[in-house]
Amino acid sequence: MPDTQWPRFMVFQQMAPGEPLVHNGTVHAPDIEMALLNGRDVFVRRPRAHAMWVTPVECIFAKTAQELADGTWLAGVQDAGGAEEKYHVFGKLHHLGQLDQLGMVEAASAPMAMKRAIEGFGGKPVLVWWVFPAARTLYSDEAEAESLFQFSESHDFKNQAFYPVITMMRQMRAKGKLED
Amino acid sequence: MQKKLNSALAEYLIALGDDELILSHRDSEWCGHAPILEEDIAFANLAVDELGHARTWYELAAALLDEEPARFPDHLAYFRDASEWRCVQWVTLPRGDWAFTLLRRYLFDALEVLRLEGLKSSAHAPLAEAAAKILNEERYHLRHGKAWLLRLGLGTEESHRRMQAALDELWPYAAQLFLPLPGEAALAGAGVVPETGGLEAAWREQVEAELKAANLTPPDDFIPVLRPRSQQTEHLMDLLAEMQMVARANPEARW
Repeated sequence: MPDTQWPRFMVFQQMAPGEPLVHNGTVHAPDIEMALLNGRDVFVRRPRAHAMWVTPVECIFAKTAQELADGTWLAGVQDAGGAEEKYHVFGKLHHLGQLDQLGMVEAASAPMAMKRAIEGFGGKPVLVWWVFPAARTLYSDEAEAESLFQFSESHDFKNQAFYPVITMMRQMRAKGKLED
Repeated sequence: MQKKLNSALAEYLIALGDDELILSHRDSEWCGHAPILEEDIAFANLAVDELGHARTWYELAAALLDEEPARFPDHLAYFRDASEWRCVQWVTLPRGDWAFTLLRRYLFDALEVLRLEGLKSSAHAPLAEAAAKILNEERYHLRHGKAWLLRLGLGTEESHRRMQAALDELWPYAAQLFLPLPGEAALAGAGVVPETGGLEAAWREQVEAELKAANLTPPDDFIPVLRPRSQQTEHLMDLLAEMQMVARANPEARW
């Protein structure tokens, strides 16, 4: 079945100034500007945000630790020369949880960026690597941080645990009031 | 004198809160029905923001009227009949299609931002403080609305047609937005609130330029709606019947 949805964008979020960004998920949007707004509306409510980045899903170049394990892929990457550009590097450091921002490299292609990322940041046990070009990333504007993100601190949001539905259902089942 | 100003300000704040609450309710009707999941979530967020703004205005009114701030907003929301509400007809109109909903929000948010910029320097300190906080959120609402205005106005033949039809339908109701709010005459003189009529020129200049950029043209042949806020229509009655039903069926219920 053809995908009738809009294009997908990866959303990265920084919780507080100075902290690394983390990959937060994906949103659909008609363009990258709307992706930033959708990212804000879908992900910022909990717990908070200071900055947000979005990039088209197809801009992500990814490798897993398994794919890299025997070294064949890495050995095959050639520096073909050409103009270099900046790439963001993200890595998944734990089985649970999202990818964290590791830093930035400059390279003329995504595979070369991956190679340099592994050389530069490979001291950490990275399970999944992502590199994507900085020029294809949209960043929230510092000057707009207040109107974009401040609400998440000034609103009281109830945690789902606040609603005792699961406990209540369990008690009702225990009393035999509900059929499973 | 102060007492008179206080009751005028309470009336003014309740009218502002009524606008916010009814718009919030209309927008919340999209929950689960918006054209795409992300926008469904975004719109629910906006509606919740407006609900929070209504509560803020109602609580400020409660303080001025010596009412209990925790209970007064619920009283206003659930136990007033249509004739006691002071919202503009603009916010009571049925939600229409997605274009109508977005355009209504965008045009209203543009006015709200202008009003809040005035309220931010209110002589009534709690009001100035609340306005500054709400202004932050409304600036985002406006950005969201403007982004959609351009995309739908310049999008497909269908999206443009729907936006233009929405503008033709909404435009006559804009006149009512610039009538003085209840209590305003006394308050504007004392530097507590901006004169609503004084916001119209800036609003027109801004939205007409942005509508033009979205290839939309306000109609030039229409009869402006200049109904006072004390005259409500069946649209509000229908909305209240649904919104108040549960609270009225069991006034002691807690949730």
